[in-house]
Amino acid sequence: MEQHDIIPVVSLLAVLMPLLSFVLCMFFVPKSISGKVAVSSIAVSFIASCFVFFKIWNAGNIHIQHHWFTLGQTSWDVGLLLNNLSALMILLVSGIAFLVHIYSLAYMKGDENIDRYWGYLSLFCSSMLGLVIADNLLLIYIFWELVGFSSYLLIGFWRTRDAAVQANKKAFIMNRLGDLGFLLALMILYSQFGTLDIEKLFGDGGLFHLSQFTSGEWIAPLGHISYVWLLVCGFGFVFGALAKSAQFPLHTWLPDAMEGPTAVSSLIHAATMVAAGVFLLVRVSPIFDSTVLITIAVIGIFTAFMASTIALVQNDIKRILAYSTISQLGFMMLAIGIGNNGAAIFHLATHAFFKCLLFLCAGSVIHEMHYAKNKLDADCDHQDIRNMGGLRKMMPLTFVTMVIAALALCGIPLTSGYLSKDAILISSFEWATTRSFAAKLIPYLAMLTSWLTTFYIARLIFKVFYGELRIQGDKTERLIHEAPRFMLMPQLFLAVCSAFFLFSVNPLSYENTWLLKVFPGSVALERIHSYHTVIPALLNLFAVLIIYFAYIQYARKEKAMFRENTWLYNFALNGWYFDEFYHQAIVRPVTYVSKFSFSIDRKVIDGLVDIVGKSGVLLSSIAGWLDRKLIDGFVNLAGRAAAGLGNFFRSFQSGRIQYYLAVMIFVVLTFFVLRYFSPAI
Amino acid sequence: MNLLSILTFLPLIAGIIILVAPSGWQKQFKYITLAVTLVQIAISGYIYFHFDNSLRGVDLINSYQFKEQISWIRLDLGSMGKLQIDYFLGIDGLSVPFLLLTSIIMMVATISSWEIKTNLKGYFALFLLLDTAIIGVFCALDFFLFYIFYELMLLPLYFLIGMWGGVRREYAAIKFFLYTLAGSVFMLLIMVGLYFSVTDPETGNHTFNMVHMMNPANYSGDSIFGSLAQQTLLGIPARLLGFIILFIAFAIKVPIVPLHTWLPDAHVEAPTPVSIILAGILLKVGGYGILRICYGIFPDAAIHTSWWLGLIGVVSIVYGALNALAQKDLKRLIAYSSVSHMGFVLLGTASLTAEGAAGSVMQMISHGFLSAMLFFLVGIVYNRVHDREIANFRGLANIMPQYTAFVMIAFFASLGLPGFSAFIAEAFSLIGAFNSETVNGAIPRWMAIAGSVGILLSAAYFLWTLQRMFFGQTRLMGGEEWRTKLNDLTMREKLALAPLALLALILGVFPSLAFDKINGSVLELIHHVTGK
Repeated sequence: MEQHDIIPVVSLLAVLMPLLSFVLCMFFVPKSISGKVAVSSIAVSFIASCFVFFKIWNAGNIHIQHHWFTLGQTSWDVGLLLNNLSALMILLVSGIAFLVHIYSLAYMKGDENIDRYWGYLSLFCSSMLGLVIADNLLLIYIFWELVGFSSYLLIGFWRTRDAAVQANKKAFIMNRLGDLGFLLALMILYSQFGTLDIEKLFGDGGLFHLSQFTSGEWIAPLGHISYVWLLVCGFGFVFGALAKSAQFPLHTWLPDAMEGPTAVSSLIHAATMVAAGVFLLVRVSPIFDSTVLITIAVIGIFTAFMASTIALVQNDIKRILAYSTISQLGFMMLAIGIGNNGAAIFHLATHAFFKCLLFLCAGSVIHEMHYAKNKLDADCDHQDIRNMGGLRKMMPLTFVTMVIAALALCGIPLTSGYLSKDAILISSFEWATTRSFAAKLIPYLAMLTSWLTTFYIARLIFKVFYGELRIQGDKTERLIHEAPRFMLMPQLFLAVCSAFFLFSVNPLSYENTWLLKVFPGSVALERIHSYHTVIPALLNLFAVLIIYFAYIQYARKEKAMFRENTWLYNFALNGWYFDEFYHQAIVRPVTYVSKFSFSIDRKVIDGLVDIVGKSGVLLSSIAGWLDRKLIDGFVNLAGRAAAGLGNFFRSFQSGRIQYYLAVMIFVVLTFFVLRYFSPAI
Repeated sequence: MNLLSILTFLPLIAGIIILVAPSGWQKQFKYITLAVTLVQIAISGYIYFHFDNSLRGVDLINSYQFKEQISWIRLDLGSMGKLQIDYFLGIDGLSVPFLLLTSIIMMVATISSWEIKTNLKGYFALFLLLDTAIIGVFCALDFFLFYIFYELMLLPLYFLIGMWGGVRREYAAIKFFLYTLAGSVFMLLIMVGLYFSVTDPETGNHTFNMVHMMNPANYSGDSIFGSLAQQTLLGIPARLLGFIILFIAFAIKVPIVPLHTWLPDAHVEAPTPVSIILAGILLKVGGYGILRICYGIFPDAAIHTSWWLGLIGVVSIVYGALNALAQKDLKRLIAYSSVSHMGFVLLGTASLTAEGAAGSVMQMISHGFLSAMLFFLVGIVYNRVHDREIANFRGLANIMPQYTAFVMIAFFASLGLPGFSAFIAEAFSLIGAFNSETVNGAIPRWMAIAGSVGILLSAAYFLWTLQRMFFGQTRLMGGEEWRTKLNDLTMREKLALAPLALLALILGVFPSLAFDKINGSVLELIHHVTGK
C-alpha cells in the first residue's frame, strides 16, 4: 500500500522537475548554469520514470485523482493514470529527452540565448510527460496543446530567421486545426457520458461499453444521438492525431519544422511529440468502428508511401529524415488501423530510438560542416547532402552509429527496427487475407514503401559518408573531425538501443518481444505461419539488393541511373506540391475572405451607420431650415405685422395740435356729411 | 455605510476632491487616483473572500449578499399609485467577479494614465466618475438606479475619448455615444413598462426592484409585461419585444455583429487607458446586462430566442476573427479580436447550460484581463513612436525582448493556450454549446463546431502578427530614430502587466477561484430560465 502512495508522487516529480527547470531557466538562474539546471532536472525525471516503470510494468494500474473544480453539477478532476502504456511512454520520453539534453550541452554551446533554449526544452519535456500520464481527455488535450506550444517556441528558437518563424507559425496553426477535431471529439464524448475520464470511459465495464447501437442511433447514459456522431467522434480524434503525427493531409508542417535546432528535431519532431498522435489513438481506440479503422489504415499507408517517395529526392539531410519520420509514423497509423495497437506502440518505441539517433548523427554532421564552412568562409548550404561526402574517415564513430540507425530504419535483421516493422507488415498481410481486393493492396504498398525507405536512407548514408567531400579548401580534411564527447555519448548509447536485444532475445522473430506480450492486438488475427518466414526473407533480400544498387549509384558513382528534372522527380522534390496547393486553396482564399469581410464592415455596416448618421444630420438641417424659414417666418411675420400696425398707429400719436385739430374737423365734417345724405343713420 | 456603497462612491468623492483641488497639485492627481483604485482592490478583495458561495442570488432576493436597501424616492402619484425607487445594492455570484475585475482593470488603467499630459484635472475627475458608474452598474439591483449608473458611464467616456483621443477622436466619440445611446433610450421605455407591470409584494406599490421583476407572481395580470395577459405590441408579444429591446441595448455594448462598428473606431481613437477600460470592463457590462436583466427578467423570451442569440454569437466569433485577420493596424486588430472573443460569451450564454453560462462569465473575466493587457501593450509601442502599423515594424524581439515576452504571453493566452484563463473559458463555452442540444435543445450542435473555428482563426491572426512584427531581422520604418526610442519596458509598465499575466495564468490553472463563486448563481440562473 505504501508503494501505491509513493508511485504517483514519483511520477508527478518526473513531470514537475522539468517544469521547475523551465521556470528557473526563464526567470531566475543565470545563463551560464541554465544548462546544468535543465540537465539535472531531466536526469531526476528520468530516474523517477525508471522507478515508475519498473513498479508499474505488468503490475497493475494506478489511478489517482484530485478535485480540480466544479462546474454545474459536474466535478472535474486532475489525475494520473499509470498503466503499461503510460509507464512505457514516460520511460521512453524521459530517457530520450535526457540523452538529447546531454547532446544539446555540446550542440548548443555558445548560443547567445541558451537560457531560453533550456527553458523551452524543459517546458516541452514537462508537457510531454504530463500528456502520457494524464488520466482524462481534457487534461490530455491541455498537454497536447502545450507540447504544440513548446514545439512552436523551439522551431522558432532562432527567431531572427524568417524561415524559422514562418515554420513555427505553420506548425502551430496546422496543429490547431487538428486540435479542433480533438476538441469536437471531446465535446461529443462529454455530452454522451458526462465525463472525460479515460478509465471511466474505456476501462473495464466503463461507460463507453454501456453504449447501445440500435437502428442508426447511439444510445449512451446521457445522450441519444445519431450513430453518425460516433463516426464524427472517431474522426475527430483521428484528425487531431493526423496533425500531431504529421500525417496526410496535415503533414506539411513537419518538414518545415526542421528549421529548429537539430537536437530539437531529434527529440520532438522524431521521437516523442509526433508520436503523441499514435499514443492518443491507442488510448481512445475502443471508440473506433470499422469505418474509422479502415480510414486510419488507408491514411497511414498512403502517408507512408507518399513521404518515402518525397524522401527519395530531397537534398537537405534533415528534410530527408523529416519525411522519413512522416513515413514511419504512417506505418504506426497503419498498425492502429488494422487493429494491432501493440505493433504500433512497439514501432513507436523502436522508432524513437533509431530516428532520434539518425537526427543526432545528422546534427553532428551538420555541426562539423557548419564549422568547416565558417572556417573556409564558403558560401554553401551546410545541410545539403550534395556538399557532403567522405565523412566516414573523418567521423568514424558517427558513421558507425548512423549506419546502425539506418539499418534499423530499413528493418535489417539484428536491429530493433526489423522486429517492429515485421510486426506491422506481417500482421497487415494477415489482416488483409480476409478482406477485399482493395484492402489486399495495403500490405503490398507497405512492402514497397519499406523498400523505398531502404533506398532513401542508403542514398543518404552513401552521399554523406562515401565519396569525396565536396566543399573544398586547403585543410578541409583536418577541419572536420569527430563530434564532441557530449554529442557522441548519446549517439553510442542510442546505437546500442537500436539493436534487437533491448526488445527481444530472439533477433529474428518479433513474437517473443516482451513489449508485444503486454499489448496484444485488439483484433485477434489468425497466425499464418508461412508469412512469418516468407515476408521477412523477401523484404530483406530486396533490401540488400537495393542497398547495393544505391552503393553503385551514390558511393561508387559508376553511372547515374536517374535523370533529374523529370516531371516525377520535381513532383517528389516539391513534396507532391501540397504546400503550393494549400497556399492556393486555403491560405489565399482565407486572406481574401478576411479582406472581403473587412470591406463589408467598412462599406456596408459602417456605410449604413453613416447613412443613418448623415440622414440624422440632414433631417436636423431640414428641421433647422424649417425652424428658421417657416416657423420663425410666421413669428417674424406676426412680429412685423404688429410692428407695422404699431407704426401705423404711432403715426397718429405725433403730438402736433394742428394735426389732431385737422383730424377732428375732418371726422366731424365727415359725420355731418354722412348724416345729411343718409338719414338712416 | 455598506461596503458596496463605499466601493461605489469612493471614486466619486476622490473625483470631487480633484475637481476642487488647486491646479498646482496636478502632479498628485494620478497618485490620488492610484490610491483610490488600490483601496478598491482591497475592498473588492475583502468582498470576494467573504462572499458566501452557497447563496445563489439571481431571482432569490434573500440570498443576495452585502445588500443595502434604502428607500430613495417616494412620490404619491394619486391614481397611479406611489412612485417607489430604492437605493438598492447587492451582489451575487454573477456580479462578484466583476467587482474584482473592475477594481484591477481600473488600477491598470490608472497606471497607464501616466501618459496623459494635458488637462489632468478634467481627465482624472472624469476617470473617477466613470469608475463609480461602472461599479454602480454591477451592484445596482434597482432598475432605475441601474439605469442611472448605466447612462452615467456614457458621459465621462464620451469626453475621455473626445478630448484625449487620437486624430479622428470626435468622429469616434460621437459614433460611440450615438450607438450606445440608441440602445439605452429604448431601454428606458421597457424599464417604465416593467415598472407599471410589477408590484412590490410587500408594499403593493409599483417598483423598479429588478429581483421582483424576475418573479412572475409580482406581475399584475393585465399589465403589459404580465405573462398571463399575453399582450402584443406591434404584433409581437410584449415580453418578447421587451427582451429584444433590452438585448439590443446590451448587445451594442458587448458588441455583437452587426452592431459592433463603434468599437474599432472608439478603440483606435481612444487614449490607451480608455481602451483598456472599454475592452476590459465596458464590454462586460453588456454581457452582464444580458445575463442579469434580459435572462433574469424575461426568461421565457430567452428560451425562444436562444437559437438567434447563439447564431449571433457564432457570427460574431467568425466574422470578428476574419476581420482581425485583415487588419493592418495593431490596435484595430485587437479591437476586432475583442469582437470575436466576446462572441463566445453570447454563444455560451445562449446554450442555457451550466457549462456554457459559467464559461461565458469566465470568458468575460478572462477577456477583461487579457484585452486590458493587449491594449496596454499596444499603447506602449504607440507612446514611443506614435505608430502602430504592423507593417512598419519587424524584429521587435531583438530590441525589446521583455516587451516581446509579454506580447507573447498576451497573444498566446488570448488565443486560448491551455494554462491561461481563456482556454478554460472558451473550451467550456463550446462544450456547453455542444451539450445544449442534448440537455435542453436551446442551440444546435453545429454552432459549437462553427464557433470553434474562431479558435483556429485567432491562432492565425495572432501568430501572423507575432511573425511580422516581432520576429525576423529588425527593420523599422522610422530607422535609427525609432530604434533609440523603442526602449524596453520600464518598471511601471512591468508592474501593470505582470499582475494581468499572472491573473490570467492563475485563473487558467485554478479556474475554481472563479467557478466556485459563480457556479451557484449560474445554476440558479439556468434553473430560473429553463426550470431544470
